[in-house]
Amino acid sequence: MVSKELTCTALVQEKIALLKQNKYNTVNCLLSEMALDLAAKVDAKISRGERIGLLEGIPFGIKDVYMLQGTVTTASSDLLKQYKSAYTATAIQKLLDAGAIPLVKENCDSFGHGSSSENTIFGAVKNAVNPEFVAGGSSGGSAVNVAKEYTVFSIGGDTGGSVRQPAGYNHIYGLKPTYGRISRYGLMAYASSTDCVGPLAKSIEDIRIVLNVMSGKDVRDQTTVFSEEISEDAIGTPKGINTIGYFKNFIESKAIDAEVKADFLAMIEKIKSKGIQVKELDFFKSDTLVSTYYTLAMAETASNLSRLDGTNYGNRVESGSLKETYAVTRSENFSEESKRRIVGGNQVLSQGFSDAIYLKALALRDQILENFNKDFEEVDVILSPVTPSTPPKIGDSLKDPLAMYLSDAYTVGFSLGQLPTLTVPKGTATGLQISAAKNKDATVLKFANFLKEIV
Amino acid sequence: MSKIMTVDILSSIKGAQPSEAVSQLFEVIKNAHPANNNPSTTVNYNAVSLNDLRADKVVESSASEKQIIKDNFPKGKGGYLVVTKVIED
Repeated sequence: MVSKELTCTALVQEKIALLKQNKYNTVNCLLSEMALDLAAKVDAKISRGERIGLLEGIPFGIKDVYMLQGTVTTASSDLLKQYKSAYTATAIQKLLDAGAIPLVKENCDSFGHGSSSENTIFGAVKNAVNPEFVAGGSSGGSAVNVAKEYTVFSIGGDTGGSVRQPAGYNHIYGLKPTYGRISRYGLMAYASSTDCVGPLAKSIEDIRIVLNVMSGKDVRDQTTVFSEEISEDAIGTPKGINTIGYFKNFIESKAIDAEVKADFLAMIEKIKSKGIQVKELDFFKSDTLVSTYYTLAMAETASNLSRLDGTNYGNRVESGSLKETYAVTRSENFSEESKRRIVGGNQVLSQGFSDAIYLKALALRDQILENFNKDFEEVDVILSPVTPSTPPKIGDSLKDPLAMYLSDAYTVGFSLGQLPTLTVPKGTATGLQISAAKNKDATVLKFANFLKEIV
Repeated sequence: MSKIMTVDILSSIKGAQPSEAVSQLFEVIKNAHPANNNPSTTVNYNAVSLNDLRADKVVESSASEKQIIKDNFPKGKGGYLVVTKVIED
């Protein structure tokens, strides 16, 4: 753009045309008018000879669970299909302030409830590599838009793997930063204790730039933490990463595909050959991780979504009395998967169940965190596959919700630990996950650069 | 007198029933044996320091924000939100 070989307006027009024509069901709503207005401003700035910032004029996508004032934010649900954002999410505002141009609100599982992006009123998102397969979820539309280069980067949301798993299924990078590094203000809450804003992109450098822009404390989200900017130089070499670990039981599990296992172990050997020490680590069984995560996530989503009753906003269905109106509105407008999670959440929070299930799951989470703390005294990075197997065919996950929950086995533990974790499109058919201790997001990017060099 | 609240009432979802798939997840937790059954005594999640709390003051919304909130009313009359009959039972 600066060399004037391409105008920002032409770039935005090209991307909008691609998004409009695309058959992958990635688009909930195009933001053409806003994008073209912003592009014209960037072009004017360039023609005046003014300097532009790194993200200025760069087109990006937004998972349809983020507020952007004046745009429709549906959460891919019937309940909010006409809901207009009254304000803008902090993370998105920071990108706008840096000059990035929002193009599209992207298809996803309704309220983030799903691992396939099939649980949506806009049609199942198709995988970028093979459209017969699911895109993964819940940020499936975001991952496919990046993979197909309809957007330069997209902003997804990761609660139990919703950025990392679709990134793996579509062969791109996807980061779940340390919990609290990026403000959640303006992200529709699913499970507040693990919800993270996360970028998806085709390069580590793009992830780094976008992460730096969005990070920082925010008075509107009191769980945010101070973080330092990550420089390009700081992540250029693997200096300081001497030992890595992997969870033995993930690889010895019966659920893992033979090819994923073989590829992962081959990668471990390659890393060893570069002089890095590798340790086998003990971890919780997959079913314990998945059950702990879903118990807590369902409890939190039942509370968070209790506000959606059609009173102040949303698609209200009148039905005589107030209580009947609440019940009919929620029954007719939530998807089956959302209802399953809300009901499960209320079940574990109710008298008689909370001690036996909810409080016990909290205690297990404490133990998982302690386990991570001990591991990171011994290793600098934990490496794991993103998923036990390759993406299922469209339609299969909806038939078997338990199988869908269990497919999150490798991602949910790091969510419970609130750890920075990056999917890299290397090593296995659905990539690799790199995790480090809390607030060591730079270490994760550093190791990703190392893997890029050796694979 | 205690009144048993079923999940359909708790969830405000008509005819809601516990799901078989979700119940299987809960069974795993019931059968687990955490070393410490008293949660959150060992790990400090995300507590905010008292010195770091945001100011306890009302922040006025912008005119555009107020207008969008009104635009989102499912039912309105004269700029006010119309709700279903509230007093019952």
